[in-house]
Amino acid sequence: MMNETWKVDARDGKLAMAHIYVAFVALALGGLAGLLQVLVRSGKFELPAGISYYTILTTHGVLLGLVLTTFFIIGFQFAAVSRTAGTLSDRVRFWGWVGFWLMTIGTAITAFYILIGEASVLYTFYAPLQAHAGFYIGLTLVVVGSWVSGFAMFAHYAKWKKAHPGQVSPLLTFMSVVNMVLWLVCSLGVAATVLFQLIPWSLGYVDRINVLVSRTLFWYFGHPLVYFWLLPAYMIWYAIIPKIIGGKMFSDSLARMSFILFLIFSIPVGFHHQLVEPGIDPAWKYLQVVLTFMVVIPSLMTAFSMFATFEMYGRSKGATGLFGWLRKLPWGDARFFAPFIGMLFFIPAGAGGLVNASHQLNQVVHNTIWVTGHFHLTLATTVVLTFFGAAYWLIPHLTGRVMTKAMNRLAIIQTIVWSIGMIFMSSAMHFAGLLGAPRRSAFSTYGDAPQALEWIPYQIAQAVGGTILFIGIILVLIIVTNLAFFAPKGETEFPVAEVAEQAERTPLVFENWKLWIGIAVVLILIAYTVPFIDMIQNAPPGSKGFKLW
Amino acid sequence: MKTQLNTNTPKTKVEKEPALKGTLASVLFLGFFLIFTWVSVYFLFLNRL
Repeated sequence: MMNETWKVDARDGKLAMAHIYVAFVALALGGLAGLLQVLVRSGKFELPAGISYYTILTTHGVLLGLVLTTFFIIGFQFAAVSRTAGTLSDRVRFWGWVGFWLMTIGTAITAFYILIGEASVLYTFYAPLQAHAGFYIGLTLVVVGSWVSGFAMFAHYAKWKKAHPGQVSPLLTFMSVVNMVLWLVCSLGVAATVLFQLIPWSLGYVDRINVLVSRTLFWYFGHPLVYFWLLPAYMIWYAIIPKIIGGKMFSDSLARMSFILFLIFSIPVGFHHQLVEPGIDPAWKYLQVVLTFMVVIPSLMTAFSMFATFEMYGRSKGATGLFGWLRKLPWGDARFFAPFIGMLFFIPAGAGGLVNASHQLNQVVHNTIWVTGHFHLTLATTVVLTFFGAAYWLIPHLTGRVMTKAMNRLAIIQTIVWSIGMIFMSSAMHFAGLLGAPRRSAFSTYGDAPQALEWIPYQIAQAVGGTILFIGIILVLIIVTNLAFFAPKGETEFPVAEVAEQAERTPLVFENWKLWIGIAVVLILIAYTVPFIDMIQNAPPGSKGFKLW
Repeated sequence: MKTQLNTNTPKTKVEKEPALKGTLASVLFLGFFLIFTWVSVYFLFLNRL
């Protein structure tokens, strides 16, 4: 039972689908919160019944940034390892369910405290903003549940390796393992601040908190979190899209190499989120900025690999000229079209990321709504459109249904609607950010300050874009509901690409985990040890908790 | 003494590299776009000093 299967076992499918249902419920609720936010920020709408803008903002960030992503990713990865490394054992599946329920109960607890207005601390929950302890306890359960699922995947991978000594593991399984190792190593940071700082402080066991340490631990987690979202999208691009278009993967080794580089370089880089933070020596910020720019390399490798895959396919179909291959791609297939548009949006997203990570340029955009515009390109377009594209074959594969032509057409329309909405909203956010408009803030004219009045047209454009995006959410929910419950019964393929004939054989060194995790740990220690000692030894008295809502 | 050359080297099969002109043009465009964006914001930073 440890070999590749064409169909994900029904029991594994159920586990994956449970995660996907929660992800799309989070999309519905978090999307509604997003719509309310952009309407408030236009200055033309006020929330009814005294609901706070910051409650809605926290709901949006937690449900979409943390819940939608984590649940979809773990569900997708369970399906991917079951498909490529064989059906899960009963034990692995059992622990998969334990992980799922821990995460779901944790989400429910966290959502409860946000909705009753006891935790309007935004999804970054920076101290000294202080939420009810239940908010942090719920989040802890989400993280612990994801660890349980991660270890279940590691156990499945180890069993495959034992059954296939000396063989290279299936690519999608390897990638899932890298992503869960990355997640495990980085989430130790957020676990440390939540367990040792935020929970004791919110329960009143300690009065004061070291704000700098807690923010640093958060960003030790926060930036690799972005890659935890992005790597499953890359899995789909590298290992699935080539099959969907009818081509082959450019290189298996290159894909593995880029994942290993992400594992090594995406963690010791959190300071580029804290470039204006006092209390960290600029030399350490500089080191982490350099490491951040190292993470650009695997993304550029991915861009090259995708272009090459598309061009090789187009030329094999007789395409001529410099860009003739573009015409050969299956533009009418939503499984390709949605992720492809996601890839295109990653170009401005990546460019914005380079600006954010550069110390001087960061001063132009820091804490402005430019940053919000940036991650609505990376997460809310590149990653999310890729996940939508994957849902269009994954859900029918798992539920034993097929996507109809009408639903495929609706999915193409959905992608176009999303793109238009995001161009309006994200561009407006970027431009308003360059003019100084702050992020994380409700509507205000700041006493009719001329600079603040300049932002209003952009805020209206954000509201227009956000409303279009909400229509996009309704469309995708219609498609997902159809695929899960109403589409005609039948067999849908779980596409997995083969490697091109001319690609080199994949070396086993990519699975030398001691080596790669060892390098990652060494880099983390180099980047963080001295700054942490400094933050603790030279700490100010610490801060009491604040509830500003 | 003359070094003996190994004359029995097997002929290696030369595989044709795929033509990736479009990929080259695409990554060059991507690189240009990244640099253009970076430089634009850098000048904004300088203007505001």
